[in-house]
Amino acid sequence: MASFLLRQRSTQSDLEPPESLGEVLWEEEVERICSTKVALQALPYAMMDKRLIRHLREPDGVKTSFWEQWKKKWQRVHQQFLDVSHRLMGIFGLWKTDLYEIGGLFGTGIQSYFTFLRFLMVLNLLTFLLTSSLVLLPLAWLHSPEPGPALNTSYHCPTSREPQPDLSRIHLHLWDVFTGRALSNTYLFYGSYRMGPESDSQYSVRLAYLLSPLTCLLLCFCGTVRRMVKGLLHKRLLSRDYRPRLSSKVFVSWDFCIRSREAATIKQHSISNEFKIELQEEQRTLQMQQQTRKQRARQLLSYVGLNMIIGLLVVGGISAIYWATKFSQNYKDESLSLLLQYMSPGVISLVNNLGPLLFGFLVQLENYPPNTEINLTLFWCVVLKLSSLGMFLFSLRQQAVLCSGRSDHSSCEPHGYNQCDQCWENSVGQELYKLSIFDFFLMLAFAFLITLPRRLLVDHLSGQFWVWLGREEFLVPKNVLDIVAGQTITWMGLFYCPLLPLLTSIFIFFTFYVKKYTLLRNCRPSPRLFQASSATFFFQLVLLLGLLVASVPLLYVISSIPSSVNCGLFSNYSAPWQVVPEAMALRLSPSAQKVFYYFGSNTFWYPILILLSLTLTVCLSQSGANKRAIKGLRRQLLWQVREKWHLVEDLSRLLQESGGSDSWGPESPSSRSSRPRSFCPGFPCPGSPRSRSFMDPGK
Amino acid sequence: MGSSTSHLSKELLTEYQELTFLTKQEILLAHKRFSDLLPQESRNMEDSLRVRVSTEQILTLPELKANPFRERICRVFSTAPERDSLSFEDFLDLFSVFSDAATPEIKSHYAFRIFDFDDDGTLNKEDLKQLVNCLTGEGQDTQLSTTEMKQLIENILEESDIDRDGTINLSEFQHVISRSPDFTSSFKIVL
Repeated sequence: MASFLLRQRSTQSDLEPPESLGEVLWEEEVERICSTKVALQALPYAMMDKRLIRHLREPDGVKTSFWEQWKKKWQRVHQQFLDVSHRLMGIFGLWKTDLYEIGGLFGTGIQSYFTFLRFLMVLNLLTFLLTSSLVLLPLAWLHSPEPGPALNTSYHCPTSREPQPDLSRIHLHLWDVFTGRALSNTYLFYGSYRMGPESDSQYSVRLAYLLSPLTCLLLCFCGTVRRMVKGLLHKRLLSRDYRPRLSSKVFVSWDFCIRSREAATIKQHSISNEFKIELQEEQRTLQMQQQTRKQRARQLLSYVGLNMIIGLLVVGGISAIYWATKFSQNYKDESLSLLLQYMSPGVISLVNNLGPLLFGFLVQLENYPPNTEINLTLFWCVVLKLSSLGMFLFSLRQQAVLCSGRSDHSSCEPHGYNQCDQCWENSVGQELYKLSIFDFFLMLAFAFLITLPRRLLVDHLSGQFWVWLGREEFLVPKNVLDIVAGQTITWMGLFYCPLLPLLTSIFIFFTFYVKKYTLLRNCRPSPRLFQASSATFFFQLVLLLGLLVASVPLLYVISSIPSSVNCGLFSNYSAPWQVVPEAMALRLSPSAQKVFYYFGSNTFWYPILILLSLTLTVCLSQSGANKRAIKGLRRQLLWQVREKWHLVEDLSRLLQESGGSDSWGPESPSSRSSRPRSFCPGFPCPGSPRSRSFMDPGK
Repeated sequence: MGSSTSHLSKELLTEYQELTFLTKQEILLAHKRFSDLLPQESRNMEDSLRVRVSTEQILTLPELKANPFRERICRVFSTAPERDSLSFEDFLDLFSVFSDAATPEIKSHYAFRIFDFDDDGTLNKEDLKQLVNCLTGEGQDTQLSTTEMKQLIENILEESDIDRDGTINLSEFQHVISRSPDFTSSFKIVL
């Protein structure tokens, strides 16, 4: 077979003396490749060469053993199975073409945001499936009593307390849907789940209801931590030696999937900006190292001062949320006006939209390097967003908890929490439901009432102001924060509003299309490079923080707060968690119970803690030893390469002195470049002799 | 006009699947796209496997049109003696390396060869300079000044040139790439 390789050999044999060495090395290379177990696909050679290697590895006519034949057959079946499954996945691959289009036009950084949206939608759907299969299906199957309002057995309550407004019936129903009142007797909210007392033979719906949010949160936590740790290896925690920051930017920043000229130009602009910023930061770091101590102290002081001011602003924003929630809860049932019902979500959104603008303005006053500015602003935005959600939940809970389980209810009357309406879980669920709906509609409003008119005005009007204003920038971090906040709300509401994940996934579905429309039509891409990996790490980190903000209150409520007497599944328990010991007592044998109690006791956890600390110490010392070893190896590599070139120089000098032609020694550049490089890519040895710069080692 | 059906034979498909990272669908799609670039009379089965398409024609593909490295890509994957045309198998090799399923090692290997503008097996200062110019484009406002370029290249060599010989060889390049999780997702071209 007239393969490319054989042609290679003939060209090589035309060359001067090195060809005997060259042939020997070439044959060694071929042998090495044939003996490796690397799959043919993964060999970096042309198709013809791969065929040759395959022929050399298993020549035709040689009888292959039974085992080999069986392995080949199995591989073929496996390949067919993979093909079929790929085709099936292609049918189910949601939004693949949309993601491809966005990646082609804007690069992988912005595409990663949309991939994150898809991930969250799938996550919510899976949560919903888990909840419904564990709780709803058994409820329906066991023919439980119909979901209904709270039983008011012991207290005499008037039939209806809210004043009926003079509105048309349709308006009333729509309004009730938005406040959650129309749905409060359905399975959407906690209060309408009811079940008979626990027995040892029946499926325990209570246990399922309690454990499904915990399981979902735990699985999400494990999944997020696993994905974060994969990216952590390459992040800022490593020392400079391990972080070739600029080189990886140069080698990795081009997105080969970009297919349009304009996108390529934009990408080139952002890469160029990125390089310039990095170089400026480098200069600045060098300058800073030459500063006097006084200047450094002053800089530190101003940095701390700025952070304190921003911290105070955050605290101010959060207290505004607290007072707004308290106010709206106080006058919850007195009027149905729009303002009061949606006051807390409104204040939260106001704080979260004004806050970042203020932070950005303050940070810019200080003239920090761009990376520091961005990171600082982002950090405080994350803190603001998550703490506002936390404070909202806290203030809700305070109102509810204060008024439940008390015999004297007079002080709770004006708050609307009396015995007849005593289902605080439903109220909390309704508030979270309203917040979710409000977020979605706010996103729609921003997209269609602010971004779209801005684009129309900028495009059709000409004036200094409009040119300066420009189209809106598509900021990935801000959008990610919004989505993560929505997901945190969903997680917070898992216990009070079990079907909220379904609602959230529907919202995310529509959000994808609205955001895609906004990006393609009404926005311009940010001039700042946002690499996909740092994006993914940031997403996972913020998602993890949101998960923590959602789980801590949930765990507290489940373990310590008594639930309402008149509604829900846990009405007879001092805290929802008490179902677990009861179920264990009913269903497990005493020895099994003893085992479980042991797992929960101190005598189990103290040794585990000690063991974990020991493991951590061992890991840290090992990593320190590895670092030292790597330093030593680098030094060794340097010496060896220098030694090698000294030897080559000595050898060439000796040969020249002994009268040989200049055919031995480092090959001339001309003969080397004429040889096509498709085979033996590592050969000749690295380090072109043209670069004599190694003689002045380092700088 | 050649034969109207241009289905690759089953054995050929299996062989291509064994030798590349592409699935059956992708191979058939690649064959269709390659045949579209051929002149009318060569669109039958045997000719499409034999005839070479010039680089200029390959560069009209929308996937490659906007890529600043397009000429280098065609040159690296070409097996012609003058490196100016691609056969169907070169075409398949190209999309195999750029596909989703390709290993990071083979991707970094070919990335090294694409960035090696003078084809000498290492990335020296000239190669790096040309690489940065490709990345930043030709515009006046995006190109780096001489001092900036010098500083950038010195930084790159400082970070990645472990054996301090003034050039970056394949293993140093792969070492840098292994520290960047972005690489596999950005070094991708899908038909």
